[in-house]
Amino acid sequence: MLEKPSVIRHYRWHVGTIAWLLHRITGLLLIFYLVLHIWVIHHISQGPAGFNKVMGVVQTPIFLLLEIGLLGCVLYHAFNGLRIIVIEFSKEGVEAHKQIYAAMMAVAIILFLIGGVPMFIHFLHALAG
Amino acid sequence: MAEYLFRIFRYDPEKDEGTKGRVQEYKVDVQEGWTLLDVLVHIKWFMDGTLTFRRACSHGICGSCGMTINGKNGLACETQIKDLGTQVITVEPLRGFRVIKDLVVDMEPFYDKLYAVKPYLITYTPPPSDRERLQSPEDRKLLDGKYECLLCGCCTSSCPTYWADKDFLGPCALLKAAKFSLDSRDEGWAERVNVIDDKHGIWRCHTIFNCVEACPKDLNPTKAIVELRRMALRGRL
Ligand code: FES
Repeated sequence: MLEKPSVIRHYRWHVGTIAWLLHRITGLLLIFYLVLHIWVIHHISQGPAGFNKVMGVVQTPIFLLLEIGLLGCVLYHAFNGLRIIVIEFSKEGVEAHKQIYAAMMAVAIILFLIGGVPMFIHFLHALAG
Repeated sequence: MAEYLFRIFRYDPEKDEGTKGRVQEYKVDVQEGWTLLDVLVHIKWFMDGTLTFRRACSHGICGSCGMTINGKNGLACETQIKDLGTQVITVEPLRGFRVIKDLVVDMEPFYDKLYAVKPYLITYTPPPSDRERLQSPEDRKLLDGKYECLLCGCCTSSCPTYWADKDFLGPCALLKAAKFSLDSRDEGWAERVNVIDDKHGIWRCHTIFNCVEACPKDLNPTKAIVELRRMALRGRL
């Protein structure tokens, strides 16, 4: 018997698959951020000078840009997480998971624009020096 | 009607040993109203007698002809060629299972999971002496969308969680578990919950919904899993 047959065509992507995959990816990125965050904050034990030095690094333009990405990850993970909670605990949620996804993502995108646009302007200012 | 190109997965355990299988292409002049099963039968009878696949009823009842069609699971006998909307059609065996030959997979692990959830009515109180066990129409309605399953394997084999964890009971077995657990006459919850309330059981599902998309009978195994989770949670509280 053939254990692992070759695949001719990859399995079709459905809304649920994409929602789950992005949830996984943003979750892993958030763990990475958390480690980075703790590493930065731990410099506080080195007094004001040490802390300011590392803070200087994370306020460079590249980090300001990454922060917009962080906002995106947080919003996606939070609102898709909310979708999963609604699916699990509401009566009709399982049937309407695609509509719930659309609604949650609409809110997430609005919040992303509200937060992301000023952050991007801030980044442009930092770039200009 | 029109000529279509079929790209079909082939694996002959005698000739293709040591390989991961191959693709064979067939050009078929598809007639009006043909299903994919009609095409496969046509190939087997008139073009290449070695092509191997399962089928019995040809009418979406026996659940033998589950396969991956253009990257999505479904029954060959319920798939109209012209509804697929492509001139090139790929046909693969159900994934997540071992391939015996061509489109025939080993369903044994799938059945093992089914037996594990005790898919039968369990009762301890004896039935009334003068009639069968009665059920109200409302209680019967709870089983709609749970009992129609053909055991074709399309759902379990579409589940990324099952691909990654071969011990996962899978959507089909859990749908069956829900069917009996939600039955007002059943008294087997205490036995069944031991099997499904497990990290390879109801809690393994990531609500990816591939099973719902794949089910040829439009059933909702994810809903069944969510319902079982609520029952298990209520039992713990
Ligand atoms: S042949 Fe019976 S379901 Fe397709």
